[in-house]
Amino acid sequence: MKSQGLDNKIFLKLPEGVSINLIPAGITVRSCAYLYDFLIRSAIVAVVALCFQLLGDTGVGLSLIVYFLISWGYYIFFEVRDGRTPGKKKFQLKVVQDNGLPATLNHIIIRNLLRPADSFPFAYALGIITMAFGKEFKRIGDWCSGTIVIYEDNFVHNEIESGTEIRAPEILLSTEEQQIIIAFAERSSDLSSARQEELAKILGKAFNITDESANEKLKQMARFYVGQEI
Amino acid sequence: MKQNQFVHMNSERWQHFENNCADFEHSLPVDFAKNYRQICNDLSIARTRHYSPSLIDKLNNFVRLGQSRLYQGEGLRLRTLLNLFRQTFIQSLHDNRFYLLAALISFWGLALISYVWVILEPNAVYLFLDLESVKNIATMYDPAGSVQSESRGVDSDVLMFGVYIYNNIGIAFQMFGGGALFCVGAIIPLLFNSFYFGAVAAHIVNLGYQAPFFSFVITHGSFELTAIIIAGAAGCKIGYSLLNPGQYSRGYAIKQAGKSVLPLIVGAFIMLVIAAVIEAFWSGLDIPPFFKYVTGAICWFYVLSVLYKGMRYGHN
Repeated sequence: MKSQGLDNKIFLKLPEGVSINLIPAGITVRSCAYLYDFLIRSAIVAVVALCFQLLGDTGVGLSLIVYFLISWGYYIFFEVRDGRTPGKKKFQLKVVQDNGLPATLNHIIIRNLLRPADSFPFAYALGIITMAFGKEFKRIGDWCSGTIVIYEDNFVHNEIESGTEIRAPEILLSTEEQQIIIAFAERSSDLSSARQEELAKILGKAFNITDESANEKLKQMARFYVGQEI
Repeated sequence: MKQNQFVHMNSERWQHFENNCADFEHSLPVDFAKNYRQICNDLSIARTRHYSPSLIDKLNNFVRLGQSRLYQGEGLRLRTLLNLFRQTFIQSLHDNRFYLLAALISFWGLALISYVWVILEPNAVYLFLDLESVKNIATMYDPAGSVQSESRGVDSDVLMFGVYIYNNIGIAFQMFGGGALFCVGAIIPLLFNSFYFGAVAAHIVNLGYQAPFFSFVITHGSFELTAIIIAGAAGCKIGYSLLNPGQYSRGYAIKQAGKSVLPLIVGAFIMLVIAAVIEAFWSGLDIPPFFKYVTGAICWFYVLSVLYKGMRYGHN
């Protein structure tokens, strides 16, 4: 339950005895996903209406049914499968229950039938205001169905590049400080070498290492902490 | 144990677990739940041993993947919806009987008031409707007009079916969703529709067109009007849970209300689909009104008996 700091992670206790953390998605990214879905929906409706136009009155009736199904059923159809509409998939969002479990049909129906309340009086104004007042960014539909929209990032775990040398630091470091060094070494494969050295210089000051070797020395310490065998 | 040793010991198992999670084609292996609990255990070990944040994030992600695979819902199945309608719907009628009763009384009461009003004072119809729609209604139900004649072919049947689906179910859903705005979004359409319905009926009686009108309306009206009332009641319950959450927090109260009225709105949806089918393909048929009154009576009997039994006993 620690490190509830600047980030907006929420920690959930599972019946399995651990807590996991989820990152709720905010207004901007959800608006983007909504617009993306909106474009898809409009495109489908336009194409269907054009095709059915050839059928005369029957076609008008059919395209009204399609319009109804798309405007109310689009979200339900996609979200009930895995919590993601095409727009949410694009922005890596997902609908889950507020206890972290996948949302079921009941939750999805409620959260999407309450869209009229959220879009009151126009452009989801009330929904956006409601979202802004909670740290889980729930709109009215989310409150009523007990769901949240979270980021679903596909996390990549970089292992520390193995090297031949390891180095024990001269001073004893606290756990958090050790973690900082390990995190630096793990991240460094995503960083350019110039940026690595820039960061290493800042971190190196704590060990009185101010020259160019800081980068390599810190990585050697990280290898020591994660227990690399030589 | 150092982090690297921990990773090397377990990475094969983790890889195996990740593959299982991503494999949607086969059903879950027998030992999936056991592996999942093992991963949960790994995560708590990693936390207590202060392993690196990125390893903890990775395990956290595994737990999330695992639980979303393990507790996955059933998906969108027609059978689930039908079961909801046949079983849970009845129970839900009982749970929300006071809201339904209030909605029924206010709808029919106000319809009756406006009906009597317009019968006694024919010009009062212009209080409820504008000139244009009064004219439209008069031509629609004119016995010499088009509602029930052979000129209405299959084409316009399908057209009207689309209109009924889009319009009526749209209204019901709007009322349900709008109800969350402290009931306002549900009450106003409900009352408006009841006034409107009463005024139109009275106006048509005043014109002397009652035979085509009532034979047209009676059959599908049973499902349609009742479904609209149910949707309004469901919306009101959500709004009222915000106004008066009782001993709960508002967040919890609205969640409970949503859970309890879900079967109602699903039921209303199914009833409106039935109503749209009847309205488009049966009510407009050019047959003697007697048949329509008989089917109408059967439908009303069925709907009212379900409503009565549901509200009174909560089971069939």
